[in-house]
Amino acid sequence: MLEMLSYDFMQRSLLAAALVGGLCSLIGVFVVLRGLAFAGAGTAHAAFAGVALAYLMGLPPLPLAILFGLLTVWATGVMEEKGRLKLDVSIGILYTATMALAILFIGLMKEYNAEVYGYLFGSVLSVTPEELGGIVGLSVVVAGAIFVFSKELYFIAFDQEMAEASGVPARRIFYLLLTLVAFTVVVSLKTVGAILVFAMVLIPASTAYQLTRSLSHMTAYSVVIGITSAIGGVLVSSLWDLPSGPAIVLLATSLFFLSALFSPKRLRRVPTGPSL
Amino acid sequence: MSNTIIRFSHATFGFPGVVALQDISLEIAEGEFVGVIGPNGSGKTTLCRAVLGLLRPLEGSLRIFDCACEKLRCHHRARIGYLPQKGALDRDFPITVLETVLMGRYGALGLFKRPSQRDREIALEALANVGMENQRDTALGHLSGGQQQRVLIARALAQQPQVLLLDEPTTGIDLTTQHSVLDLVRRLHRDLGLTVLLITHDINMIRTLVDRLVLLKTRLFAAGPPEEVLKPDVLRQVYGKDLVITEKDLVIVEDYHHHR
Repeated sequence: MLEMLSYDFMQRSLLAAALVGGLCSLIGVFVVLRGLAFAGAGTAHAAFAGVALAYLMGLPPLPLAILFGLLTVWATGVMEEKGRLKLDVSIGILYTATMALAILFIGLMKEYNAEVYGYLFGSVLSVTPEELGGIVGLSVVVAGAIFVFSKELYFIAFDQEMAEASGVPARRIFYLLLTLVAFTVVVSLKTVGAILVFAMVLIPASTAYQLTRSLSHMTAYSVVIGITSAIGGVLVSSLWDLPSGPAIVLLATSLFFLSALFSPKRLRRVPTGPSL
Repeated sequence: MSNTIIRFSHATFGFPGVVALQDISLEIAEGEFVGVIGPNGSGKTTLCRAVLGLLRPLEGSLRIFDCACEKLRCHHRARIGYLPQKGALDRDFPITVLETVLMGRYGALGLFKRPSQRDREIALEALANVGMENQRDTALGHLSGGQQQRVLIARALAQQPQVLLLDEPTTGIDLTTQHSVLDLVRRLHRDLGLTVLLITHDINMIRTLVDRLVLLKTRLFAAGPPEEVLKPDVLRQVYGKDLVITEKDLVIVEDYHHHR
């Protein structure tokens, strides 16, 4: 085990997993509280379509993944504000349409490209130093933005209209959140893959949600759970030669079910203090 | 006392195809306690959203603090404390009482600034004002409906507002609690000199509290002291045959018959 940790690739993938796990679980707090889960899953598929198009055209994957992800997540925001259809319906359409695009782009490729599938299923053990650099850079930007705007992000997650009414530029903060979701998804694409990335956003935050009734505690728990399951998943996957994405996600899922079993929220609710 | 703080001039509000409020002219003076009444769908909540600057008038104008409502900037909005209709709140949202009340400071603080010790003091003072200072670390979801209303009123107070805007503050809580919430509002109006705009369908509950009543049903039907507005011929224009006035002058309206 210790010997394993001395390999460069292993150190790189552990660092990448920890960053991605931490970042996903941090943004996940706001995604879960603001009710954007489905929107994020759609974004992951759109970003993957961007990757597929980049490989088809022989371009670097990152910029197109970001472009596709941003367009989809902003479209979701506009639909939430102005849409006539129910949101789950319009996102469902967007989600499947972008996946169809991805499959189309892959179909148009002349030959089988294993790297594209790496973005679909995730391959943290093959993260290159350049990719790690990209992950570090985007993580700093996203985590920095969350830190700077945390009070506004919490407020719109609690009640966007109340935030707007009390003088917070809530709409702009909402679009900032959507943008950060897209960046997070793109950062994580290579590590956990387009299909599973949203598990990393939702599960640690939902686990933390079960455990506490304070915003600050929920955030801290979520990040700890996210990093722990990401690192644990990578170790498990290399020890037993399992695919890394599923190892991370299934570890996180087990923690979620444990927390649901022992959640104080499931216990009978007793109002504290004198009633009025 | 006579400074006008909110001024509607022939203002019409609505959405494509729907006029929610039409040709409203109304002035509200600083320090006034105004009750807004009317049947369901009469535009009460639209009036509320308009004062918050969330809607622009289709025609006419609405000025608040001498600033056109659609141009209300963030620091102006922070001067209006708002209690939304109950039911919007997620009871399982993981937030403590103090965290909730501190949110009232966020608009006034502006972007990039973190709540300071002073902001915490303001929040605690607001909690003391609603008698909830001992519950600061309790989860919001653990409180009763009436206690939650108090905490949300404290959140509005933490904005250090000039205007307190309450949308159906007594709906969905039991009778004793309704009275204690209204007593609280009366005390805040008196002690803090707040201009209060209270929207309700429960006429009897507020008739003795307010300086003026505003009667709405898309149009403004009456605005004046309760004894002038609560006359059968005035009320009948809005409530029609659903109106019953008992011997003790209680006004009974079958509110739920009104659907738009």
